Amino acid sequence: MADFITVTELNKYVENILKADIFLNNFWLKGEISGFRLYRQSGHMYFTLKDETAQVSCVMFKSRNKNLDFVPEDGQKVLLRGQVSLFAEQGKYQVYVEEMQPYGLGGLFLYLEQLKQNLAKAGYFAADKKKIIPQLVNKVGVVTSQDGAAFHDIVRVLRSRHSGVEIILAHTTVQGEEAPMEIANAINRLNEHNYVEVIIVGRGGGSLEDLMAFNSEEVVKAIYKSTIPIISAVGHEIDFSLADLAADVRAVTPTQAAQLAVPEIALLEKQIKDYRERLTLAVTRHINHRSELIDNLMMRKVWKNPKILIEEREERLSTLQNSLLKAIISNIDKRHTQLSSLLSTLDALSPLKVKQRGYAILLKEGKLIRSINDVNIGDQAMAKIADGTINVLITDKG
Amino acid sequence: MENINFELALKRLEDIVSLIEKGQLDLDESIKLFEEGMKLSVFCQTELEKADNKIKLLLADEETGELKIISQD
Repeated sequence: MADFITVTELNKYVENILKADIFLNNFWLKGEISGFRLYRQSGHMYFTLKDETAQVSCVMFKSRNKNLDFVPEDGQKVLLRGQVSLFAEQGKYQVYVEEMQPYGLGGLFLYLEQLKQNLAKAGYFAADKKKIIPQLVNKVGVVTSQDGAAFHDIVRVLRSRHSGVEIILAHTTVQGEEAPMEIANAINRLNEHNYVEVIIVGRGGGSLEDLMAFNSEEVVKAIYKSTIPIISAVGHEIDFSLADLAADVRAVTPTQAAQLAVPEIALLEKQIKDYRERLTLAVTRHINHRSELIDNLMMRKVWKNPKILIEEREERLSTLQNSLLKAIISNIDKRHTQLSSLLSTLDALSPLKVKQRGYAILLKEGKLIRSINDVNIGDQAMAKIADGTINVLITDKG
Repeated sequence: MENINFELALKRLEDIVSLIEKGQLDLDESIKLFEEGMKLSVFCQTELEKADNKIKLLLADEETGELKIISQD
């Protein structure tokens, strides 16, 4: 046997010892990831796993990591299964990872994140499915534990805003294995009974583990299915619960949920009273305005002294009468003048006037003799003269 | 006024008030609306006073599964 060996031989020797160890070929290891690198070309993952005092290099080949359901990152605590082998080129041992999963709270968050994504994809958190809380709610359903501080907070705040509010408690446990099913059942019962107008689902704050029931698929689905609007109130120590995402309204605390559930009745009462007053005022003003218009019209002279209408007309009538009379009189006068002028013409032409001037009129048998042919010789005739008549005998003519 | 809920009534009341306040309506119309508004305000007020002021429990009967409400306080 030679008194020395090569580096390659040393590494080979160590590697064989490591490979021969049954434990080192298959074990679970817990630690925090740091220096995480994913080589794009090869698809292999390289990182260091460490705890407070030590660290070890890890590699997870593409063939193993393609089934990972999360993306590892620095600072993440993981639980992995693997084996130890020697990386001969660098003379260091490393862990070859077969499978890996998030550890502890980090794992819970990841589980939630994945559940959230699945439920979101299935439409359970859709904004257009959110129901509106009615403005006036007189009946509130509460899904929580009857022993919890949350229930007492809810009752106190509901009553301070709306002293007449009716509260229907559907008691459930809010943590533990039975809680998801019980909470979902309570929501379903309230829907089946269909009496309350809004439902508050929640509990006081707690650790993430305490609140897990409100992150369960059962509760999310029951909330989504509810035809009655739901306000969620799940603690306030974490950013969200899945129940919050599914609910129609999310309250940060049970107290806030109660504030969102019922209106402050005193304010509503004041609002209604206010409307009523405004209504009366507006109509009164309306009527007053119109009666003012009427008053204005009535103020006119005509209404105050209706006689004036008659007097005006009487005056016009008598003027017309006068004019008419005058017209008639002037007309008659004109005729008079005409008549007397005609009369005097006529008078001038009168045969009586002729006789007065010394002329006589000859009549034969009462008829005026106008021509020598009207008489024959030997006829009797009568001559009318101014002061009487003379009988004459026609002795000659021509 | 059939099938009206508090919200619709309050909204309608609000609309009626501003309609009449604008003063562009016939007197007839505004009187009609006034009457409607008064009815609505009474309806709203009544709705506010409807509540029962109780804490009750919703329970399922252990044998029949029938749901019932039980007064607690």
